[in-house]
Amino acid sequence: MTAKTGKNIQRLRIAIQFLFVFLFFYLLFQSGYSRTESFSYTDYFFYFDPLIFLVNFISTGKIISLFLLSLIPLFLTLLFGRFFCGWVCPFGAINQFFSWIFRKSKKEKKEVNRPLLKLKYIVLIIILVATVFGTQLAGWLDPFSILTRSASTAINPASNYLLEESLKTGAQDKGIISKAVKPAYDFARKNILTQRQRVYSQSVFIGLLFLFLIVMNLYKRRFFCNYLCPLGALYGLVSRIGFFKLKTNPACISCNACSRNCTYNGSPFKDYMKSECLTCFNCTTDCPKDAVDVCLELPKKANRTTIDIGRRKMIGSSVIGLVVASLPKTIIEAKTKVVHRFTRPPGSVKEKEFLSRCIRCGQCMQVCPTNYIQPALTEAGIEGLWTPVLNAHSGYCEYECNKCTQVCPTNAIEKLTLPQKKEFKIGTAVIDRNRCYTYADGYNCAVCEEHCPVPTKAIRFREVDTWNHRGKLVKVKQIYVLPKLCIGCGICENVCPRSDAPGIICTSEEEAREFQL
Amino acid sequence: MKRRDFLKNSALLTSALCLPGAIDAVQPAKSSPTPSPAGPLVVKVEGESPYNITKKAVETLGGMKKFISKQDVVMIKPNIGWNRSVEQAANTNPEVVKALVEMAYNAGAKKVIVMDNPCHKAEDTYKRSGIEAAAKAAGADVRYADDNRLVVHDFKGESLTRWQVYRDFLEVDKFINVPILKHHGSSGITIAMKNLYGILGGERGKLHRDMGLGIADLAYGFKSHLVLVDAYRILLRNGPTGGRVSDVEFKKTVIASSSIFDADVVAADLFGLNPTQVEFIQAAADKKMGIPDISKINIKSLKI
Repeated sequence: MTAKTGKNIQRLRIAIQFLFVFLFFYLLFQSGYSRTESFSYTDYFFYFDPLIFLVNFISTGKIISLFLLSLIPLFLTLLFGRFFCGWVCPFGAINQFFSWIFRKSKKEKKEVNRPLLKLKYIVLIIILVATVFGTQLAGWLDPFSILTRSASTAINPASNYLLEESLKTGAQDKGIISKAVKPAYDFARKNILTQRQRVYSQSVFIGLLFLFLIVMNLYKRRFFCNYLCPLGALYGLVSRIGFFKLKTNPACISCNACSRNCTYNGSPFKDYMKSECLTCFNCTTDCPKDAVDVCLELPKKANRTTIDIGRRKMIGSSVIGLVVASLPKTIIEAKTKVVHRFTRPPGSVKEKEFLSRCIRCGQCMQVCPTNYIQPALTEAGIEGLWTPVLNAHSGYCEYECNKCTQVCPTNAIEKLTLPQKKEFKIGTAVIDRNRCYTYADGYNCAVCEEHCPVPTKAIRFREVDTWNHRGKLVKVKQIYVLPKLCIGCGICENVCPRSDAPGIICTSEEEAREFQL
Repeated sequence: MKRRDFLKNSALLTSALCLPGAIDAVQPAKSSPTPSPAGPLVVKVEGESPYNITKKAVETLGGMKKFISKQDVVMIKPNIGWNRSVEQAANTNPEVVKALVEMAYNAGAKKVIVMDNPCHKAEDTYKRSGIEAAAKAAGADVRYADDNRLVVHDFKGESLTRWQVYRDFLEVDKFINVPILKHHGSSGITIAMKNLYGILGGERGKLHRDMGLGIADLAYGFKSHLVLVDAYRILLRNGPTGGRVSDVEFKKTVIASSSIFDADVVAADLFGLNPTQVEFIQAAADKKMGIPDISKINIKSLKI
């Protein structure tokens, strides 16, 4: 292949990568911040993810038909190698971009790091073994999960904050700057910025982890893709038995220039590994003699040019998988009701099932219009890290919305129509009589009653004689909850005017999913 | 000094005083309505089209030109509180808002703003209520309540004193109050005086403590130049959110007046309540804003 052809293929690849990154963020942006009711779903990316398909099938025994789409890239991998990692994956593209930004001097010689390359296969084995034993780990390292979660709960809110603050400061300037910035601010206010700054309980944690993965590209090119990504490992295993291969022809002068920009520091000349080649075609552009060729050939018996993690590591990682799978099942939250103080989005399945289905992608958090859905830290036990929990400090469940039930790719939150969602009992509101103004202080209040969206009002009040905070006997409209009518939407807790802690809280009491079979 | 000049000056003063982002106190632009013996005219129009009865009501009252001068910036404040549709009667009818925007422009208004601080997410309420589309079609500047534009205003009331108000409401020349008549749990009903809650920001829930007096203070301290109560559909029960169409009744009426008190008294009567039983009307009567007696009000009823 000539360097010119290689250059063209490389350009095409970069264009396609940009396209997918744009598409990914466009869909994500649309789904979350769209002011229209019809919105595009971002989860179509997930349906092309065979790893999620596999773990979801193992843990539920069911096939979500849309996931059959993920077989397409899997079969194409047989023909074209890990094209998905090199050309399609938006997180891969981002890593590639930063590897390019962080690129070092051309003279530097880099060697293939075999032990590190094995790591992602070990990760894959751990994930699969743990999945068989009922613990879902895939979401923490799946590239789409990482990117969607980080973008929803950290990157987007942070960018929104920075954009708003900088434009606002500029627009408030008294002089010439304001003239230029004011129109930009007004435009952004209308079209880009969220009306209220979105907040997430784990944005620092998730954001720093994302930053860490990006910065690791300084250490090794496409660090995450080569050494950690379980999806990459899966594609690697498939491409081993595939037909695609890069090869040097007799014109090769053994200069090893082809290793210069190779993503895994290999080259078609030395240490070529089908399973590690991301088909980026950088090598073809670096070859001075046009000596790199693509060849499609039947896979031969494995030789030293493939990664072999060996029997010991295979067994070792399986054991780790077993340990990782079993320990979270033996902590107190797994058996007691302590863990059930929190509530899950409407349509969520039973807790045990939920934990095995949820891939922590954070799409539900992204689409929630009121910012009600938050990533958990320890609320749902250690296993529930970053699973969606509801937090009435930041929002409430909008009565006329069912967005979160539409986006879950793995049906941890099952699809509900709007009428179904309106009936779905997320939990129940419970009055804290030591805090509620109408009980504790003898004030009229009933803000929760006013906001209760149930058409017949699940929160009502009755006029009673009570002693107020001055010790006077007064008539007060004391509120009460009708648990059978309450859907646990949390707006009462959200709007409670008490500053320290709400006088009414929504708990998982009587939640509908508890009674599912 | 004319009221208009005073408003303009105080707006200028506000912007001069308020450093970016800071919340600053401003002088109130208040003028307390004093009831004349005959009382201001209240027009009640019944008819099939919300759009037509609105136009008729304002015309009967003397036309929009009576309330708006040329080059005025006009604020129309409907109730856009809830993410509910027109049929559920939790928000002002969009046709009513549209008619008012058109009339204001025809009367020579420089700019007509439509704005509220809703209880639900503004993007949703503006859209589902149909008001955003209707007002924009008529050429209005439909604004969201922006917390960056909050200033502290002293209402100098007995219960309500200093509170955060969106600057947009203080900076306009004329204020048109367009509530929907509906049931409300803790205040009994909500009409024009209660609709003024929408100009406030901050933790409004805390005002529920002394609601009747607070609402009266608000109406006393903030002038509505024209009040038009939408009673085309009224929500009889489970307000202010509602939701069931079976709780909604067609009255096909609008009530217009220059007096917020008289409009509320007539509306409460239409709702089927004795105005004196409504806490905030009684509180406003105690502040000498008017007489809560339907027989003492100068009402003109029409049917088209």
